[in-house]
Amino acid sequence: MTQIHFQGEHLLYGTLGHILVIMAFCFALLSSVSYYWASKSEVEDKAWKLTGRISFFIHALSILGIASIMFFLIYSHYFEYHYVWHHSSTILPFKYMLACFWEGQEGSFLLWAFWHVILSFIIIRFSGKWEAPVMAIVCMVQVFISSMLLGVFIGDYKLGSDPFILLRNHPDMMNLPFIQMPDYLSKIADGRGLNPLLQNYWMVIHPPILFLGFASTLIPFAYAMAGLMKKQYTEWLKPAIPWTFFGVMILGTGILMGAAWAYESLSFGGFWAWDPVENASLVPWLTLVGAAHAMLIYKNKNQSLFTVIILCLATFLLILYSTFLTRSGILGDTSVHAFTDLGMSGQLLVYMAFFMVWAITMLIIRRKDIPGQSKEESIYSREFWMYIGVIILVISAFQIIFTTSIPVINKIFSTHLAPPVKPANHYNAWQLPMAVILSILVACVQYLKYKETSAKVFLGKITPSFVISILLTALAAYMLHLDRFPYILLLFSSSFAVIANIDFLIRIIKGKLDHAGASIAHIGFGLILLGVLISNAKSNIISSNRSGISMGKDFPNNENILLNKNDTTLMGGYYITYTGKEKKGVNVYFKIDYLSPNEKGKLVKEFTLKPIVQTNKAMGNVSEPDTRHYLTKDIYTHITYADLEDINSDEQSNSKYAKEVTKTVSIGDTASTSNSLIIIKSLDKSPDMSSYHLGNIDLAVGVKLIITDINKKIYNVEPIYLIKDNMSASLEARVEELGLQIKFTKINPETGKIDLSIAEKKSNKREFIIMKAIVFPYINLLWTGCLVMILGSVLAIRNRLKKR
Amino acid sequence: MKTSHIIGIILIAIAIGAIMSSVSDAGTYASFEIAASHPSKEYHVVGKLDKSKEQNYDPKVNPDLFSFYLKDKDGLEKKVILNKPKPQDFERSEQIVIIGKMAGEEFHASNVLLKCPSKYNDAQVQMKKSNS
Repeated sequence: MTQIHFQGEHLLYGTLGHILVIMAFCFALLSSVSYYWASKSEVEDKAWKLTGRISFFIHALSILGIASIMFFLIYSHYFEYHYVWHHSSTILPFKYMLACFWEGQEGSFLLWAFWHVILSFIIIRFSGKWEAPVMAIVCMVQVFISSMLLGVFIGDYKLGSDPFILLRNHPDMMNLPFIQMPDYLSKIADGRGLNPLLQNYWMVIHPPILFLGFASTLIPFAYAMAGLMKKQYTEWLKPAIPWTFFGVMILGTGILMGAAWAYESLSFGGFWAWDPVENASLVPWLTLVGAAHAMLIYKNKNQSLFTVIILCLATFLLILYSTFLTRSGILGDTSVHAFTDLGMSGQLLVYMAFFMVWAITMLIIRRKDIPGQSKEESIYSREFWMYIGVIILVISAFQIIFTTSIPVINKIFSTHLAPPVKPANHYNAWQLPMAVILSILVACVQYLKYKETSAKVFLGKITPSFVISILLTALAAYMLHLDRFPYILLLFSSSFAVIANIDFLIRIIKGKLDHAGASIAHIGFGLILLGVLISNAKSNIISSNRSGISMGKDFPNNENILLNKNDTTLMGGYYITYTGKEKKGVNVYFKIDYLSPNEKGKLVKEFTLKPIVQTNKAMGNVSEPDTRHYLTKDIYTHITYADLEDINSDEQSNSKYAKEVTKTVSIGDTASTSNSLIIIKSLDKSPDMSSYHLGNIDLAVGVKLIITDINKKIYNVEPIYLIKDNMSASLEARVEELGLQIKFTKINPETGKIDLSIAEKKSNKREFIIMKAIVFPYINLLWTGCLVMILGSVLAIRNRLKKR
Repeated sequence: MKTSHIIGIILIAIAIGAIMSSVSDAGTYASFEIAASHPSKEYHVVGKLDKSKEQNYDPKVNPDLFSFYLKDKDGLEKKVILNKPKPQDFERSEQIVIIGKMAGEEFHASNVLLKCPSKYNDAQVQMKKSNS
């Protein structure tokens, strides 16, 4: 067989890229082993450390090189590469090229590895004697991530998925005949492009932040492992604390950005759906928050070290578990997030199992040596209640991850459990009490000192906030008509958290920014809870329909509203009009005007919402909401049903008549069309037929019709039934203004009834949409809370770094 | 007894509670037959749309009422009533999961999940016109 010479390919970049992947893998391994040997001996081994460092730099350069080449290939539209062809296209704007980069799994693993590399530089620069053991762990993680990009065969087993595989070598493509032609590349018009659903700015900013969050959980893990390996159980904590808070901040931001993305442009009607993929990133955040607070207990009281270590280890293992859940395809139908399975689930499992076994083994071997707490702490101490808070966080995390793992449990035990029928009810039943306890702790604990505070002093300090919160809660519950007891409880506890921390900030810290971080972050936490509570508990579906058949209280079917084009309907205090649709690219925009009466009682437009239905080839039609933001509420709308068939039809086909509808009527009856009423007035036995040359035996009967349109305009027409030369015929009458054509097709002499065949122009068919609209009150409390919490975290980290 | 022991016991109790509640709240995949024998319980029923039978969606009467016929995995067919608008791309679905309970001879679904044949994995290459 002769070698085919393919034309127009740029093979050099792929070869280089693949070599860099192999280098990244090998040097990560070399670096990890070298750093390990460097950290092994009592006195740090300089030579091994230098080897570790150099290997790491080569590894880092390789990762950066792979990323640059990949981006260059996407930028240059080299469709001979499968990844480029699969994820990008020439028509894509520049800003989405980054999104193409991490749309695929290979790209997102690369992004993850990239952040590890960046964080490692900081460790090498600043962590001194901890560099060797910490980097040994970090590089071991890099070995596993790099292996995901290898794409080499070991026997029959394919290790990793090569991002630089050529289109013509890809298993999906290899057998296509055209791909064997030397000039196949010139036949490819364009890449498949980025999934339109992901073509928005969130896809550009959300993944990097989230992956930085994932990456930052590795550092506390690596420090904790380093401490266990070096038998220095306590010294690692000090450098690890800022990293842990950094992780809390970034991972939290990433998760909330995901929530904001869902709220802004996905149509499940809210910011959080307890979807497995969301849960899988929330759970490690909860344990990381637990770890961070346990670290503070240890730092001040030398207690709960074991908890700190366990939580640091668990957080990173949970990140690996969530990677496994979301990327192995095991979630199957239970998640809306569609990740394609690249057949790497085995590899992901090994990745997770490796670090799990390693961490647990280290913990068991060293458990006797880890200094435990000697004496019981007082109930009136800060550390005792902080520890309770940590435990609550752990329980909360455990409950979420257990239910989320139902598909995994099914796999292991061959059960057939389905996810909860009403996920929100299931999770809220557990998480609401947790949130109540946590927010009360957040309110009170700062007023307790480490060691011992007298009950009297504590109560004296907390009482003002407590009283104000009670009053505010009563007022808010009354104004919001919040009547369910658990909601009122959470309303109280979260406002208590906010107020007590504001009070602490003003009276105790006296506004000094250096020490304000914790209080500010806790205010943010309280505001988030308030926003979640009010916007959910008092969310109001205003698009209710009162029409048609009710299925009863247990099976409510009245959440969507029908809007006829150009009709004005009253909905939730607004008059709304659907004015038409407009197609831009793959998106169809539905324009809905919201009007309200002015002083003179005349309707004036307040705003227009344009929810979208995306005609997405890869995923079918997808609905994207549009939301009107006010300070105190959001009006959220999305299209739940629209007939998109005529979206491509032109004027010409609209001007044709649709199928006739025959109606049997008597004189005096009324018939309706989509835009008019027809009154059948009388039969006309001798219509004017002078131009038709009728013979003697021929017969003509007319029917006089009075047609009234919506504007009460009247049209008089007379269609005619005709028998000429023994053939029956009919002379239709038309009303062009109404797009109406009426034929008199039959007469029944016995009953006196007649048949009218009515045809309407297609453009008469009233266009309509079905829409759902929800008001979320005070959802801005949630977003404000997020920003405040991030600000507080930044201040806290800055203060910790200053102290070093 | 140390405080840590008490906390430990409480923790274990809550963890068991969480597991129990998760298992009891978990839905069950079932056939129409099982769902019909427990009419008050909600089930997940997996099946295929019967395209030969009529689907009824008349938004002018009620936008939140859609009915269709579903054949479950055992081949039993029931009329399904959904209290939501007709889902987009409904006909394209190759598998449907309905969540709800039986009411007489009909299944009242409060949610449907569609599994559409994704074009995502299709190895279709967009070609240039060959005569150009």
